Amino acid sequence: MGKILDKKDLKCFFEKLQKIGEVVAPVKNENISFKPVKKFSEVCFEGRSMFPIKKYFLPTKEAIAEIKNDAFVEKNDFKKRIIFGARLCDLNGLLVLDKLFLDPLYPDKIYAIRRENTILIGFACKEPLSDFCFCESMDLKDYYDLLITENNEKYYVSIGSKKGANLVTEYKDYDINLKKPVCKKKLKNKNIHDFFDEKFWEKDALKCVSCQRCTLLCPTCLCFDVADEMNIDLKLGTRNRSLDSCHSKDFTLVAGGHVFRDTKLKRYRHRVFHKIQYFKDKFEIPMCVGCGRCMEFCHSKIDFVDTINNLKK
Amino acid sequence: MNLKKYKILSTSKETADDVFLRIETDINPQPGQFVQVSIPGIGEAPISTASCDENFLDLNIRVVGNVTKAIGNLKKNDYIHLRGPYGRGYPLVDFKGKNIVLIGGGCGVAPLRGVIKYLEKHRKDYDEITMFFGFRTPQDVLFKDEVAVWMKKYNFNMSVDKSPEDNPFFCPVGFVTQILDQTKIETKNTEVLLCGPPIMMDKCVEILKKKKFKDSQLWVSLERHMKCGVGKCGHCMAHGFYVCKDGPVFRYDEVKDITDE
Repeated sequence: MGKILDKKDLKCFFEKLQKIGEVVAPVKNENISFKPVKKFSEVCFEGRSMFPIKKYFLPTKEAIAEIKNDAFVEKNDFKKRIIFGARLCDLNGLLVLDKLFLDPLYPDKIYAIRRENTILIGFACKEPLSDFCFCESMDLKDYYDLLITENNEKYYVSIGSKKGANLVTEYKDYDINLKKPVCKKKLKNKNIHDFFDEKFWEKDALKCVSCQRCTLLCPTCLCFDVADEMNIDLKLGTRNRSLDSCHSKDFTLVAGGHVFRDTKLKRYRHRVFHKIQYFKDKFEIPMCVGCGRCMEFCHSKIDFVDTINNLKK
Repeated sequence: MNLKKYKILSTSKETADDVFLRIETDINPQPGQFVQVSIPGIGEAPISTASCDENFLDLNIRVVGNVTKAIGNLKKNDYIHLRGPYGRGYPLVDFKGKNIVLIGGGCGVAPLRGVIKYLEKHRKDYDEITMFFGFRTPQDVLFKDEVAVWMKKYNFNMSVDKSPEDNPFFCPVGFVTQILDQTKIETKNTEVLLCGPPIMMDKCVEILKKKKFKDSQLWVSLERHMKCGVGKCGHCMAHGFYVCKDGPVFRYDEVKDITDE
């Protein structure tokens, strides 16, 4: 089952992690956000970060190669890192990213190195962290190295991998069943193939202002753009990868000026279908992990779960 | 990124808007596949290949954007960065013993040139070869020298949308759909390969269906801007398909409902 730690043990364990690499954990300021942390007291054990942990694997913007003498020199960053305190939804978000970026046919080297050098330690949610959480409907997997569940000042650590098991060998075993959170919000229909018609999405699309917050804050939105940036002398520069959004009008622009998804409706519908249907058809798990950020932080309060639940032929 | 540097063996201007590059490379694509072409400091663009099975790679590039403009300025013995080949091409091996019909419009004829090169190499494996190519004007005709040869060797049909000046090919003036409509084509044991602007492909499919072709006999090459080329960046995604990886060539029945997505 796992290992049991008390509060003192957990602090010691955290200090042990510091020696392995950079520990990144949720910190509460105005919002909760993941940051490199040195002291155990800085870690916030409540709530959910506004920005998911994808930024440590797929930064908003980064150089993937240097341009020098009319040639490319590939860049690889290597840093041992421990993510301490990610929620199960965000960890499942990584499972989605892994499916694409660790695809054996075309693995992404930069991503693969980061993934290999990261230890994932999660915090289990005792109850939903926001009214928008619906992870219970999304059949999340136990995707972590370790997952910590707090119960009456005790910390129950479930082991998800060998990498995780090796970190907690010295602690005592436990053998009880831990409760999973029950979400009020539910996604009732997970097969929306029959609802592609525009009429089903008109109401939401009218409200959408294409601000792209949903794609930025989504733990599994990974669409990116690649562009070269040169210094003023045009001799040195970088090839950059930056997060893009399928809500942007130019996202499907092709040479000659044609835009395939030329209306907000088509773009909004595409994102919902990608999250709920398309990805599942290919990889057998939905792309959505039920964190609810896209609805909680939506400029126009669009609730796509509500929309899907009310779809009727 | 897997980019490698290759030498340009020759360049020529095919038309006012198109350049043709022959590149020394070990990249050996199947007809219908594409490569990613990079110019350091400018960017990267997906270009479909126009040759097949050689020690060199031919690319026909229409100069429309920043990257293609920079490619257009390259000269013989310059270097170019390529990665690939990517995507699913036309499954020509499965078409052995069949009649092949090629329908191309404008720079969509370039990938079909790769198909023709393949068919020429394996001529005995295929039955009748018929072509319908359309261009804007006689000046816009691609591969002019080869067109003269194809005219003699195959059931070759060509049209130009308009002919303000001389028409050295003496071909009909009108859309490619018109010559397709007017020509009798054997439907039995035939596969049709299409490549061109979406509107041309839609109209041609309509005509072919009138001629009693089944959706499963038609093979279309979809156009999207593949930025990564390896099924990740999301730009080419259409109704759940990654056009870069699952396509760009699709059997028409797989994608008939999604052409505008």
